[in-house]
Parts: sequence; C-alpha cells; structure tokens
Amino acid sequence: MKVPSDYFKKVSSMSVDEVKQFMRENEPGEYNLIDVRQPEEYEIKHIPGAQLIPVGQIDDRANEVNPERPTIIY
Amino acid sequence: MNAWEGLVAEGPPESGMAYFEGTEKPEELIALAWILEDGSRKFYSSLLYLFDERAAKELFLNLADAEEHHKKSLVDLYRKVSGKKPGDAFPQDFISTEHSGDVMEGGMSVSEGIDWVKRNGLNAALELSVSLEANSYDLYIKMSRSMQDEHAQNVFKTLVTEEKQHLEKLAELLEKNL
Repeated sequence: MKVPSDYFKKVSSMSVDEVKQFMRENEPGEYNLIDVRQPEEYEIKHIPGAQLIPVGQIDDRANEVNPERPTIIY
Repeated sequence: MNAWEGLVAEGPPESGMAYFEGTEKPEELIALAWILEDGSRKFYSSLLYLFDERAAKELFLNLADAEEHHKKSLVDLYRKVSGKKPGDAFPQDFISTEHSGDVMEGGMSVSEGIDWVKRNGLNAALELSVSLEANSYDLYIKMSRSMQDEHAQNVFKTLVTEEKQHLEKLAELLEKNL
C-alpha cells in the first residue's frame, strides 16, 4: 500500500480559547471551519459558520475546502 | 464541541433554507433573508415596548434599525442579481404562505418569540436575541458561500460582519444584566 506523501505531516491543535480568538480576529471568509461530526450532532448544535463534512465523506468532498486558507477542524 | 461553551447555531446544514423545498437560486435566498430580517425587525420593535431599561430599549431600537437597513441592502441586491425591480409580490412569491410574515432569524415564529419573552423577562429576551443573531450569522455565511456572484458574496459578507457586531453588543448587555 502506498502511503500518501503528507501522511506524516504534523497537524497543530488549538485550544477552545485560541479558536475563539482566531475567529474574533479573522473574517469567516478568511479560513475554513469544518465540522467532521455526524449530521445529527451538527443539527443539535454547531459553531456558527461551520461547514459540515462528516469524517466519512472527507475524501470525496476535500475539493470543497479552499487549500489556500487556514483550516480549523473539529 | 462539548468544551466550546460559546455561541452555537442549531439546525441542519440547509437550516433556514428549508422553506424553498430544495431550491437555492440567488433570488430565492435573497428573498428568504429579507423575510427573516423583516421578522427580526418586528420582533425587536415589539421588545421596545416590553421593557423599561434604557440600555435595552436603545439596543433593541438599534437592532430594529439595523434589520431595516439589511432589508434595503437585500432589495438592492435582488435588483442587481435578478435585473428586475422587486414587485408587489416580493418576497412572498418565493416563500410558502404558511411561513410568510411570521418568521424571524433562526426560523422561530415572531409571535411565539414575543409570547416567550413576555413570560420570561429581559435576560431571556437578550439570550433569545443572541441565539437569533448567531443563527443568522451562521445562515449568512452559508449564503455567502453559495453565491457565485462576487457582489452578492460581498453583500452577504457585510451582513455577516454586522451580525457579528450585533452579537457583541448583545453579549455586552447580557453580561451587565446578569
């Protein structure tokens, strides 16, 4: 099996306060905010502006995410 | 998400757009936004007469004025996107009569919202307003994403920014009142 080249790429994590501060300091169009939970969970509550892409659909829908912008995933 | 403890929106990804039974033409989204803004304006205008606190009255008046301003921005946008002048049937042509005239940001009925506030007081009114504005902020980000036209995207981005400012003002007053 071939391992994707960015398989071992480090992904940084942010605390809740860091995310809140980031969202205060940036406009929604300047970053991607992706909710990878299930639709039922999203429906109950989600961070305003979050785009729902359930984790099982990421491969098929990765083209919906702008690679030029920072991406926050939860 | 459990650790978030911040503003949240509710509803499925298509929330607020459900009145159009799956159609998402720009003109229809603009009409929906206009209807929700008009409902919120009615809601905030009614709150003006329910409370005596000066700061709350001023904020609800400002919010009602802001919703009126948003309606005008949306009419201008409709004219540009559709190439037509909004007629007497705007925006009712785009929405089912069941919801027309009594729905506000967040999808709640205006009359239900006012009744709920009458029973629960000022802090509840502020909390409900925060919830409405958070859902509106969420909806406009989605609408901005769905628009192909750059001018339309910018109009919705402006609405997003203003809803964010409303949220900050509401949160500030809520904090003082608690």
